[in-house]
Amino acid sequence: MKQQDIEDLRQLIEFLKQHQVAEFDIDRGDLKIRLKFNPQESGPASLSDLARLLRTAPPVSTHAAATGAVSESAAEPAADPEAGLHLVKSPIVGTFFGSPSPGAGAFVSPGDRVEKGQVICIVEAMKLMNEIEADVSGEVVRCLVSNGQAIEFGQPLFAIRLA
Amino acid sequence: MLRKVLVANRGEIALRVLNACRELGIRTVAVYSEADRNSLHVRFADEAICIGPPRASDSYLNVPAVISAAEIADVEAIHPGYGLLSENANFAEVCRASNIKFIGPPPEVTRLMGEKEKARQAMKKAKVPILPGSDGILSTAEEAQKWAEKVGYPVILKAKAGGGGRGMRIVRDSEDLPNLFHAAFTEAANAFGNGELYMEKFIENPRHIEFQMLADEHGNVVSLFERECSIQRRHQKLIEEAPSLQVTPRMREEVGRTLCRCLSEIGYQNAGTVEFLMDANHQLYFIEMNTRIQVEHPVTEAITGVDLVKAQLRIASGDRLDAILPPHLEMRGHAIECRINAEHPQKFTPSAGQITAFNVPGGNGVRVETAQYAEGVIPPYYDSLIAKLITHGMDRAEAIAKMERALSQFIVRGVDTSIPLHQEIFQSEAFRAGEFDTGFMERFLAARAEAEKQPV
Repeated sequence: MKQQDIEDLRQLIEFLKQHQVAEFDIDRGDLKIRLKFNPQESGPASLSDLARLLRTAPPVSTHAAATGAVSESAAEPAADPEAGLHLVKSPIVGTFFGSPSPGAGAFVSPGDRVEKGQVICIVEAMKLMNEIEADVSGEVVRCLVSNGQAIEFGQPLFAIRLA
Repeated sequence: MLRKVLVANRGEIALRVLNACRELGIRTVAVYSEADRNSLHVRFADEAICIGPPRASDSYLNVPAVISAAEIADVEAIHPGYGLLSENANFAEVCRASNIKFIGPPPEVTRLMGEKEKARQAMKKAKVPILPGSDGILSTAEEAQKWAEKVGYPVILKAKAGGGGRGMRIVRDSEDLPNLFHAAFTEAANAFGNGELYMEKFIENPRHIEFQMLADEHGNVVSLFERECSIQRRHQKLIEEAPSLQVTPRMREEVGRTLCRCLSEIGYQNAGTVEFLMDANHQLYFIEMNTRIQVEHPVTEAITGVDLVKAQLRIASGDRLDAILPPHLEMRGHAIECRINAEHPQKFTPSAGQITAFNVPGGNGVRVETAQYAEGVIPPYYDSLIAKLITHGMDRAEAIAKMERALSQFIVRGVDTSIPLHQEIFQSEAFRAGEFDTGFMERFLAARAEAEKQPV
C-alpha cells in the first residue's frame, strides 16, 4: 500500500472511531477492507491489525496471484518484525485476555522471561476461561493481540525470543 | 429476517447456504479448518474464522470451537448444512443454551428422529406405513428369532443408534440368525457406542423414494413432493431425480397429507426429508427421517421453483409458509442430479490433489453446485463430493439429454472424477427406461466387469 493510502486509512479509522461505528467494510475489487472495532478498546486500531486485515484482499503481487486464491500463509513473510521469533499460537477460538481478571496486572509483559508451561494469557470460549501456556522458554518480545480481541484457531498471540 | 448467520459446514453446501444468505441480505460468517483456508466458502463470506486443524473432529465437528466462533462473531443463527453437526441434537441444544438460533427442528425432534426405532414408532402412531418388524428393541437372539418367524424371512437387523449402513445384517435363514445378531450388535456397539438392535422385514431390490417436507414455526407443514434415489452404491446415492416415475398422483397426495399431519403432531420445524422403500407392488414403507437439508435438494427446487435453503432461513426468521411458498404448489417437468465425486470412476478410490483444469457446463436448465475451481486443492480429510450437476427438462427424456450433453462438457483435470461413470450409466438401457431399483449399481458394475473380461 502506498504511504498516502495508509494515511487515508488512518484518517478513516479515526473518523469511524469518533462516530462509534462498530463494523465497517469496503470492497473495491482491488482492495477489500474489513474493520471491526472492539467495544472495550479505547486506543486506535493498531497497524498490525490493519496489516492482517489487508491481507484478506485479493492478491496483487505476482507471488500470491499464482495460487489464484486468497492466501494467508503467503503473506506471513511480510510480518518482518516477527522474523526469527517463536510465535505462540492460540489452540482455540475465543476472546483474548492478557490478565487474570479485569484491572489485574498482565500475565506477562514485553521483556519478561517465560518458562515452557507458564500461563501467559487467557482465551475465553463459551464462558470458560482457558489458560494458555507458553510452549517454549524465552523472552517475551511482543504481544500481538489486544485485550478483548476475537481470536481464531492458530492465531499468533505472542512473539518469543528463544533463550 | 435474520441479521447474521454462521454456516457450520464446508464445501459446496457451505457456499450454497452463504449464497442464499447473501441474496436475502443476511451477513455471513464462514468457519474453516486449516486445510480449507483457500476455499470458496471462506473467500465469499463476509467474515471467516479458522476453527481448527484439518481433521473434521478437531474443527467442523468441534462443538466448542464452532460455538465460540459464533459468539465472537456475534451471530444470530447457525445453519448446519448436511452431515457434520446437522443432525446432532446435543449441538442444537448447545446452540439453544448459548442463545443462538439453530436452523432446523428443535433438539427434541432431532433426537426423536435420530433414534431409529423411536422414529418408527412415532410414524406408526401417525399411520405412516412402516415395514413390518419388531415392536422395539430385541434383547436376545431368541427374541429376534421369534419376531423373524412372525415377520417372515428375509429380515434385516438394524442398529437403534445407527446410520450409514453400519450395524446392519440381512438374515435369510433362521439358522444364521444368532451369529448375525451378535455380529450386528458388536459392530453397532463399536461404531455408535450402542449395540441395541431392532428388526424390519427386508425388501429385496426396493426403490428408494423420499418426500421433501417444510414446516414453519407456526404449526404449518407442506410436502414438496418426492425424489427417487435408487441409483446408489454401498448406500451412497449417486443419481437422484424428481419426480419418481413410480409414484402416482394419488399416492403423492395421500402420502403428502399423511406426512403433513404426522410432522405437525410431532412439532417438526424447518426442512426435513422422509425416506421410504418401495416394494415390487409399489407399496411404500417408512425407513427413516433426515432432519436437515439434503444433498439432492436441487432437484426438488427445479420442479417446484422453491428455493429450499432460503425457505429454511425464512422459516428460522419466523415467516409463515404461506408467505414463503406460492399458493398452489405444482410440479413442472423432470429434474435429475448427478453427484460428481473426486474418485476413480472404476476403482472408486478417492482422489485428492490439485485441480489443473475445471470447465463447468452451462445452458438452459443446467445447474452446477460446486465449491471447486481451477487450481483448487481437494484435501484428503473430507468426503469426496466436489460438484453436483443438475438438469431440468420438460420431461425425463429432455432432462437426460441435457445431462448427457452437460457431462460431456464438464472437464476436470488433475484429479479423477466419477464423470465417466455417470456417462456410462446414462447409456444404460435400463436406466433410460426408468427400470431400476437399489440393486441397479451392483448389477451394472458386475455387467461392466464381465464385459471387460471378454474380448470385444
